[in-house]
Amino acid sequence: MSSRRSVLGLIAGGAAGMWCGLPGLAFAAVPSERRLVVVLLRGGMDGLSAVPAIGDPDFRSARMGLAPDPASVKPLDGMFALHPRLAALAAMYARGELAVLHAVATPYRDRSHFDGQNLLESGAEAPYVRDSGWLNRALAGLSGAGGRSGGIALNTGMPLILRGSASVTSWSPATLPGPDQDTEQRLAQLYARTDPRLADAFSRAAMANGVAARPGPGGRAFSGLMEAAARFLKQADGPRIAVVESGGWDTHVNQAAEAGPLANNLASLDRGIDALRQDLGVLWDRTVVLAVSEFGRTVAQNGTRGTDHGTGGAMFVAGGAVRGGRVIADWPGLKAGQRHEGRDLMPTTDFRSVALGILREHLGLAEQQFANVFPAARPVRPFEGLVHDRSG
Amino acid sequence: MSAQAVIAANRFGLGARPGEIVAIGGDAHGWLRAQLVPERVLPAPFAALPSTGDDLAEFQKWLADLAASGRAPQTAMEAGVSDATPARATGVESEFRRRFAPRYAAALKARFGVAINTTRPFFERLVHFWSNHFVVSGTKPSAVALPPSFERDAIRPHVAGRFVDMLLASSKHPAMLVYLDNVNSVGPASQVGRNPDLRRAFAAQAFIPARGTGLNENLAREILELHTLGVRSGYTQADVTNFARVLTGWTVARPPRVRGAQLAVRRQSAIGLFDFDPDAHEPGAHVVLGRAYAQQNEAQGEAVLRDLVRLPVTAEFIARKLARHFIADDPPREAVARLAQVFLDTDGDLAQVGMALIDLPQAWAHSQRKFKTPEEYLVSSLRALPGLELDGTQLASAVTALGQPPYRAPGPNGWPDVESEWLGPDAVWKRFQWANETARRAAASVPDPEWLALDVLGASLGGETRSAIQRADSAVQGLTLLLASAEFQRR
Repeated sequence: MSSRRSVLGLIAGGAAGMWCGLPGLAFAAVPSERRLVVVLLRGGMDGLSAVPAIGDPDFRSARMGLAPDPASVKPLDGMFALHPRLAALAAMYARGELAVLHAVATPYRDRSHFDGQNLLESGAEAPYVRDSGWLNRALAGLSGAGGRSGGIALNTGMPLILRGSASVTSWSPATLPGPDQDTEQRLAQLYARTDPRLADAFSRAAMANGVAARPGPGGRAFSGLMEAAARFLKQADGPRIAVVESGGWDTHVNQAAEAGPLANNLASLDRGIDALRQDLGVLWDRTVVLAVSEFGRTVAQNGTRGTDHGTGGAMFVAGGAVRGGRVIADWPGLKAGQRHEGRDLMPTTDFRSVALGILREHLGLAEQQFANVFPAARPVRPFEGLVHDRSG
Repeated sequence: MSAQAVIAANRFGLGARPGEIVAIGGDAHGWLRAQLVPERVLPAPFAALPSTGDDLAEFQKWLADLAASGRAPQTAMEAGVSDATPARATGVESEFRRRFAPRYAAALKARFGVAINTTRPFFERLVHFWSNHFVVSGTKPSAVALPPSFERDAIRPHVAGRFVDMLLASSKHPAMLVYLDNVNSVGPASQVGRNPDLRRAFAAQAFIPARGTGLNENLAREILELHTLGVRSGYTQADVTNFARVLTGWTVARPPRVRGAQLAVRRQSAIGLFDFDPDAHEPGAHVVLGRAYAQQNEAQGEAVLRDLVRLPVTAEFIARKLARHFIADDPPREAVARLAQVFLDTDGDLAQVGMALIDLPQAWAHSQRKFKTPEEYLVSSLRALPGLELDGTQLASAVTALGQPPYRAPGPNGWPDVESEWLGPDAVWKRFQWANETARRAAASVPDPEWLALDVLGASLGGETRSAIQRADSAVQGLTLLLASAEFQRR
C-alpha cells in the first residue's frame, strides 16, 4: 500500500490504530469456520449519501441539495458520517465490527451499469472478457472446497460473480407447491442421460431444497435473503460463501427524499446485515460481509435532484472478524479539479485489493492464486490488516 | 413431418400448437416469410387495452388521491419502489399494488392470449424481441402501467417495417419519455432553465412529480448505449450530454401552465401525447458524434436519431442481438455480418433483415442451442396445451415465480437472452414445479402425453425422453416429464 495514504477516522471500540504495515499474518490452513458474504448493490450506490464526507470543507457546496442535515447523520469521526438510516451499521462501527472504505472503485471508468457490474463480478479489467466470477475462481483456489458447494447465491439465477468451475448453488424462496419424489427422480435420470447442464442444475437445486426447508419471513426482501443466507452458512457441511443481491440503487431522481428509494434501500441494507449478524450468532465473529456497488455517482446533484452514474464510491466491510471502527480512505477531495473528469469522486482505492485482502487474510487464499482471481496488467496487491488474526 | 417445420415452429415461432408442425408441412421458409408483413388488424385483446393517456391519467389520479388523503404524493410514490414484499409492504405500497394490479393482469392476459393463440408466432416473437430492445419497465412506479400500450403503439406497428420508425416511435413515446426521465429534463439555457418562476411552474405542472428541473441524461445515454450504437462503440460523455440537450423539450403534453400569458396554451386535446416544449429546449446547435445539429425544435432530435440508424456500429449491434436470439448465445460471426450488411444496405428495413435471417443456414442447425427464457417457456407450454386457460392473476403468479414478469424488466437493458442467465439450479427447479402443477391441471385433457410430445416436438423429441414419457406412471407424470424435458426447454 502506498505510504501517502492517510487513515481518517481511526479507532472506535478499541480497534488497533495501525492498519498498514502490519506484519504478515499466518494463514497455514483454510479456516473452515470462516464465512464470507458478498452483497452486490446493483445500480450504483451513491457513496457520498451513504457515507457523507461532512468534514470536507467543500462537501456542502459540492453536494448542494443532497447534503444531509448535519444533525441527522451518524458521525463516525470528524470527517465522515453514516446516513441516518444506517443505524445498525453505526452500532457495528462503534463495536469495531465495521470498516468503511471510501473513494473506492473497480478498474472500470465508463458509466454503463451493465459493463460496470460485469467488471465488478468477473474481476477482469475489461467487460465481457471473462465468463467466470472472481469469487468462484477464489473458491476454486481454496483447498478443501471441492466435493460440496462452496458458495451459494440467494437468487433464482446464478450471478456472474459465482459462475465458474468451483461447485456452487443457488436458492430462493419457493412459491409453488412441490412435485412428488418419484417424478423428481425420473426427471433427474432423464437429465443425466440427455442434458448435462440441466442435470447439474437440477441436482444442485434438489440438494439446496433439503437444507432450506424453513422459508424465512419476508420472502425476497433483502433481509429475508440475508436470513436465508445465515441458515445456509450455519450448516456444518454448507457453503462458506454467500452472494446476496440488492437492486434499485440507480438514483437519478429525488434521491435525498426522506422516504425515497435511496433511504429505503439503505434501511433495507442496514436491516439485512443486522439480521445476518443476529442469525449467525457466534459465527458472526468469524464472518466478513462485503457490500459493494459497480460504481459511485456524480458528486454534484443533477437537474432532477438525483445523481448520475459516476466512479468512486463507498464500500462496507462488516463482521465480527473485521478490524473495524474506522474509515479507510485516501481522500481525494471534492473540488472540481480533484474529481475524476471533473464530475465523479476520484477513486483512490482499488476494490480488487480490498477483496483480495479479505480473501487472503480471512479465507487464506494463497498468493499464487491472486493473478487468477484478479487477472491484471499490473498485479493487484492485497490490502492488509482488514481482518482479525484469529485461529480457525 | 419435416425437421425444418419443427425448427420454424419452435425456434422462430413461439412453440408448436398441436397440429401446427403438420400444417407448416414442407414449406417452413414460406410459412415464416408470410409473417414478415405488418398486421392489418390489431388483435382485439390489445385494442381493448387502455391508451397511454389513460394509463398516465390513472397514475395522476393515484397521486391526487394520495394528496387528498393528506399524504405527500412524492414521498408515497417513492416509497413504492423499495424492495419490500407484500408481507412487509407499507400501507401505501400495498395500495399502489392493488390499484395497478388489475391493469397488469389485463395486459398479461392480452399478451399471453395473443402469443398462445396466434397463427403468426414468428411475427409475435419479433414483437417480444423488439419490446425487449426498446424497454419500458413497469418496475418504475411512474411507468407502472405504461409498457403494454408502449409495446402496442411504438413497437408492434414497426416489427416488419423500418427500424428508424420504431426508434422514432419509441423515443417520442410518452412511456419512454416518462420511464427514462426525459419529461423532467430542462435545458439550462432554455426559457424555463433561466427563469426561477418558470422552473417552479414547470415542476408544479410536471406529469411526474419532480422537485428539481435540470438536464437529465438518462434517455440520451440509453438511446446510444442500448437502442442504437451499443455500449463502448465510440461515443463519449460529451456526446451523451449534448444529445441530452438535443432531447430537452421532448415531453408529454400536459395541462397548460398556471402563469402569465406570455407562453401560449398548447393543445389541450393532446394531453398525454408526445409534445415538444420549446420553453424547456436547450437553444442552439449541438454536436453529437462529430456532427453539428442546428435544426429547430424536435426536428433536431429526429435528425440525430436518423443519423444513428445509418451507422455501421448500429447495424452490427442490432444484427448481433438478432443472431443471438435466433441462432446461439455466441452467434457465428458470418451470420452477424450478413444481417448487419442487409441492415445497412436496406437502411434498416426489418422485413428484409428478417428475410435474411430466414435464409441463414446457421439458423436451421438441428441442435437446440437456445435455452428458453421463462416467458418463452410459459408461452410454449400453454401453446402445447390449448385446453388450459389461465386468468391474468394466475399468469402473474406464474411469471413472477419463474422469474420473468413481462413488462417488468429489471432495467432499461431488458431481460438477458443467454442461457447462463437463466439456467440456474433454482430456476430449473421452479420450471419443474411449474411443469408439474400445469400437468396436474391439464392432464385430463391430454389422454396420451407421448402423442402430444410427438405432435409438438416432432423430430426433435429424443429417444430417451420419449421412452421416459412412455414409461410414466400417470398422465400427470408423463406430461410433467414432457414439459420439463431438455427438448421442451430448449429451442
